[in-house]
Order: sequence, then structure tokens, then C-alpha cells
Amino acid sequence: MLNQSFNGGIVIDSPHPVEVVEIILAPLPDKVVLPLQQRIGGEAIPCVSVGDKVLTGQVIAKTDDYFCVPIHASISGTVVIIDDQTIPHKSGLRSKCITIESDGKDQWIEHTGCGVDFLHCDQATMIKYIQASGIVGLGGAGFPAHAKLEGIQDCHTLVINGTECEPGIMCDDALMQHHPRDVIRGVEILLHICGAQRAVIAVEDDKQEALNSLLMHCHDDRISIEQIPTKYTSGAEKLLIKVLLGIEVPSGKFAIDIGVICQNVSTTKAIFDAVVENKPLVSRIVTVTGSGVKSPNNYEVRLGASFEHIVSMANPNTNHHSVRMGGMMMGVDVETTRMPICKITNCIFVNNIETKPNTQECIRCGQCNQVCPVNLLPQQLYWYAKNENTDKAMDYNLADCIECRCCDYVCPSHIPLAEYFSFAKALHRKTTEDQYRTDIARERFEFREYRLERTKQERAKMMAAKKEELKKKMANDKAQKGKIAAAMARVKKTKKVSDDVQ
Amino acid sequence: MLDSVFIFSALALGLGLVLGYAAIKFKVEGNSLVDQIDAILPQTQCGQCNYPGCRPYAEAIASGEAPINQCPPGGQEGVDELAEFLDVETLPLNAENGETQPDHVVYVDEQVCIGCTLCIQACPVDAFVGASKVMTTVIADECTGCDLCIPVCPVDCIHVLEIAPTFSTYVPNMAEIAHA
Ligand code: SF4
Ligand code: SF4
Ligand code: SF4
Ligand code: SF4
Repeated sequence: MLNQSFNGGIVIDSPHPVEVVEIILAPLPDKVVLPLQQRIGGEAIPCVSVGDKVLTGQVIAKTDDYFCVPIHASISGTVVIIDDQTIPHKSGLRSKCITIESDGKDQWIEHTGCGVDFLHCDQATMIKYIQASGIVGLGGAGFPAHAKLEGIQDCHTLVINGTECEPGIMCDDALMQHHPRDVIRGVEILLHICGAQRAVIAVEDDKQEALNSLLMHCHDDRISIEQIPTKYTSGAEKLLIKVLLGIEVPSGKFAIDIGVICQNVSTTKAIFDAVVENKPLVSRIVTVTGSGVKSPNNYEVRLGASFEHIVSMANPNTNHHSVRMGGMMMGVDVETTRMPICKITNCIFVNNIETKPNTQECIRCGQCNQVCPVNLLPQQLYWYAKNENTDKAMDYNLADCIECRCCDYVCPSHIPLAEYFSFAKALHRKTTEDQYRTDIARERFEFREYRLERTKQERAKMMAAKKEELKKKMANDKAQKGKIAAAMARVKKTKKVSDDVQ
Repeated sequence: MLDSVFIFSALALGLGLVLGYAAIKFKVEGNSLVDQIDAILPQTQCGQCNYPGCRPYAEAIASGEAPINQCPPGGQEGVDELAEFLDVETLPLNAENGETQPDHVVYVDEQVCIGCTLCIQACPVDAFVGASKVMTTVIADECTGCDLCIPVCPVDCIHVLEIAPTFSTYVPNMAEIAHA
């Protein structure tokens, strides 16, 4: 067991513990709704139309964006509608979605990957399979896996995150308990791709079962499995690296900058499926928990099925519920259980509605400062965020805030600090962009003024030159005329003389 | 199609370079008060303030010639900011100058455009590219949404495109957070 740690963070007991962690296979949904908006990049463009028959795993939308992965049909059936629907996102914005009605057959497309003997495949092929299979970070971040793996130069350590990101979630625990072999093989694939000498799988010390099953299947001496103390936010990438390896990732840098690559265990298992079988990611394990369900559990469910589809399997009580996607700390509240399950849906919290304690003024108790795992000063930041003084907040390293809500959790005044920080970050991004735009507009306006002025002057110069020429010409003409007149006069004279002579 | 994309990209790049050069070469040493006022103005360059652009209006404010409430794109917020900066009483936005419109850019319906290039001459920030008698188009990133080009178009092919928040540009509402 490791004894390195980081300042701050909080220990929260699992709010709804279970005896046995299981994975229940949810029945095929009658229909799925697949959003075309992904975590990063623009909306994917559908490559099927309404009425088309699709097979499970068939690509139904894609983009050219490097950071995007294709979107696959998660059941076989018929595309019934392509329209805008609300998706689980804090903005409440709508995204274009493809809805497929099941034919109940679950017919798959053909797919063959590198096979179990994957070591003969080269890295590029593997990464291609990972992208084509639509693998993104399943821990909740949703960052595309191929983008993290491409073009890696010096990676010395691979960190596999087997810590549950938040108390109450158990999908990763379930995966390690029930699919340890696939996880370990997935780690071997990742080692092959990124060329690291060693891999460390981090498991929290309250997950003994998971540790045991991993140990049973791990026969590769490059892979070690470490237990770390169960503390909230040790699952955050930078903090996990610090706990495991004792290395700090500097502010504004990424793990790869110090030679470490971090992947979540679920993602690792998905990478295994992608590389060995080239099998598109069409399902995931989701924890359903909360005070509103009698039997919290994990469900393996097709992407795009509604929350309701699995919530109904966990024995919900008849109260009114509030629904949250993701954990109790960093999750997003959603309006209804009719939302589609996405790749980043690791957990659904169904809670009985409770009255929230009222927010009070900050009493400057400083408790928030003590728990911040990235050593920020939430009390200060709150002040700046509230007054929309984002520049000042950025000076106090707002950008490093991981929005973990540890500060909210301990705040005796129940101030939603992290929401203020998320607001301040968004506002800062917007003002920076606006500033950039106005600067360009100012420059272009000034340049145009200059251009018009220059044209005017050039024209004036040209006119002046023309006038000058004309004058010269006229003077010339006059001289010419004078000459002609003189000549005429001469002619006249001689004529006269000759007349006289006659 | 591809060659036109290429031509326009080359054009945009070329113009950008010229601009950058000009910005360095022709930088005028400004009056800092005017500069500071100009920095608060939204740079839409629409002329609704009755001056031919933001900077001329900034000059007019600085010299005390114009009141601070004539810029509709800046909105009431802009007026308040000016008042705070100049340390004077704030005024309500003058309705005679126009209404504050939502953030937008314009685009040319290229099928209809006849390439008269009147819009190119109207645009205060040179956001158009195009060829006479063929067609013009707007570089959306450079359009300030001043709408000056809309009335000059003889075939009405310039339309407004509102900038809606997207998943990556959305800003949460602070009032909602405070009352959560
Ligand atoms: S939400 Fe941000 S400020 Fe608050 S504890 Fe977490 S990292 Fe620190
Ligand atoms: S914990 Fe809450 S009340 Fe205490 S200093 Fe932080 S914000 Fe203020
Ligand atoms: S009204 Fe238009 S031109 Fe005048 S200051 Fe405002 S944006 Fe600039
Ligand atoms: S394109 Fe039209 S609306 Fe946009 S800045 Fe130019 S003139 Fe104004």
C-alpha cells in the first residue's frame, strides 16, 4: 500500500453500499437514441437516412474531425427519426440524435481485428481499430482514446485508473471483478502501443475483491497492481499520478508531458475488444444507485437506451425523484429519466427529492481552502467569480480547478462554489474570445481607413499629375498655334508681295 | 469548388499578412484616453452612434462632443461601463440610435448573389471576399454583425445568422446558481 498522498480531498463513505457487486445484463431496448454531439468537436454527420435498416455496430454518423470517433448503431433495426433532442448535459442544450427502433434480432456487422495473438499487429493498426470502434474515455471524461495514444514518443509508465471516480459508483469495481482477464490483456495492448516499460493499475483499498481477481489473472511482470487509500478525487488523473508515482504534473501541462499515460479500466477493457475483435463500442456498464432505488446495482446496457430502461430494473420506490448523471459530486442533474445513456454515463443517481439547505453568506471559515485537492483558495476564487472578476480568478489559478466540489461539500454555508467556478471559467473563455474578435475588428477597421485614405491620396496624386500634363500640353498647343499663326502670316505676306508684283 | 476554396484561402492569407504588416507599420501613436474609450466600445463599426465608426465616436466622447449613450451594440452594459470609466452619471441608452440586437453575423446566399460588390464597399471591416460579376461571400470570423451590407444589396441575398450558444461556448447563468 502506498503512503504518498496529496493535500486536501475528502473521505466519503459509499452512500448506498451493496453486499455483492454484480453486472446484470439489461435486455435489448426497443429503441435507442444516439446523440451526434460528442464531448469534444462538432456534431457528427449522419450517413444513414430515415427508413434505413442498420445492423448492430454499423457506422451511422461520422466527422472528419481528428478528435472525433464514429457513431455506431447499438442495436439492429430501422432508423425512425433524426431530430434534435435534449441530451444529458449541464447546458440543457439539444443535439441532433438518430433514433433506431429495434428489430429484436441484434444482428451484428462483420468485424475482425488483430485476434488474440495481437502482438503481431503494429501500433498504427491498433490505433486505427481503437478509433474506428469509437472508444472514448469511459471514466466520465469522454476524451477519445486514440488521440491520447497517437504519436507517443517517450512514455515510461502507463497508469491504469481502477479507482472509482466518486463514492457510490461501482461500475469499474464490477468490471475488475468480473472481467479481470480482459482488463489485463487490455493493459498489455496499451503497453505494446505506447512502448512504456511498466504499467501500474491503481485500485482503492476498499475494493479487495477487485484486487484479488486482477492479481489472479496478472502474469506479466511489467504490470503491477497497487492499492491506494480510498479518498475522493484520488481518481483525478494528475492526483492519481502523484499518489502512485510521486511525480507532480505542473499546472497547464498534461500527464504525457512527464512521460505518463493514464487510462481508465473500463476504457482499457473497451480497447481490448476494439483491438482483438475490432468490435465497436455499443454498450457500457452503468451503476444505478441513490436513495430512490431499493436495489442499487450495475447494468450492462446498450448505448442510447433510456435511463428509465435500467432504473426500472433497480426497484425504484414510488416517490418523486431527482435524477443525476454521473456521481453525487461531479454529476449533472437531468430533468427526466427519458435521457439516452451515452458513453460517459458511468452512473445514474436516483434520489428522493430532499429540500436543499439554503445558501448563506460566506463566513470566511476557510474550510474550503483546506480540502481543495489542487491547493486552490476557493474562498478567494468565490469572491472573484461572484463579482465576475475572471482575470483575477485566473491569476489565482482558476484554470486548475477540477470542479470536484470538495469545497462545496464542506462549506457550512452551502455555497455552490464549484458551479461558480465553472461559470467563471466559461465566462473567461467567452470574454477572451470576444476580446480577440473586437481586436481583429478594430485592426481591420483601421486598416480599411488607411486603405481608403491611401486610395484617396493616390487618386489625388494621379489627378494632379494629369492636370500637370494637360497644362503642359496646352502650353505646347499654344506654342504650336503661335507657330502656325506665324507661318500663316508669313504665307499671307508672301502671297501679298507676289500679288503686288503682279 | 476546390479551386475556389483554394483561391479564397490564399486571398484570406494574403490579406491577413498585409493587415498584420500594416498594423505594425502604420500604428499611430494614439491619445490614450481615446484608446481606452475605444477599448470599451464593441468595435462593431456599425455607425449607429452617428459617427463613422467606433474610434471616431470614442474621439467624440473624449472631446466631450457626444454623450455616452449612443452605441446600441454595446447596450446598456456598455453605457454603464463607459460611465464608470469616465466617472460620470450613467444614462439610459438612447433609443434614437437603435436597439441592441442579439449577437449575429451575416452570410451571402451565393446562389442569388450577382457579384455587384456593393457589399464589399459597404463593409467597414473588409469581411467580404469575392469577384466582380461573379459572387461575394462573408468571412464569418471577421464579420462584426454591423448590418451595413444588408440594405445595399440589390437582390437581398445577405441574411442574418444568429450566434447560438453551443456545447462548447455555453456560459451558465449566474442568477440561477445563486438561487440554486
Ligand atoms: S471544486 Fe475546484 S476549488 Fe473546489 S475543491 Fe475542487 S478543485 Fe478546489
Ligand atoms: S467553506 Fe464556505 S463559508 Fe467557509 S470560507 Fe469557504 S466558502 Fe466561505
Ligand atoms: S454604434 Fe456602432 S460604430 Fe458606434 S461605437 Fe457602437 S459599435 Fe461602434
Ligand atoms: S459583412 Fe456586413 S454585417 Fe458583417 S461586418 Fe461587413 S458590412 Fe457588417
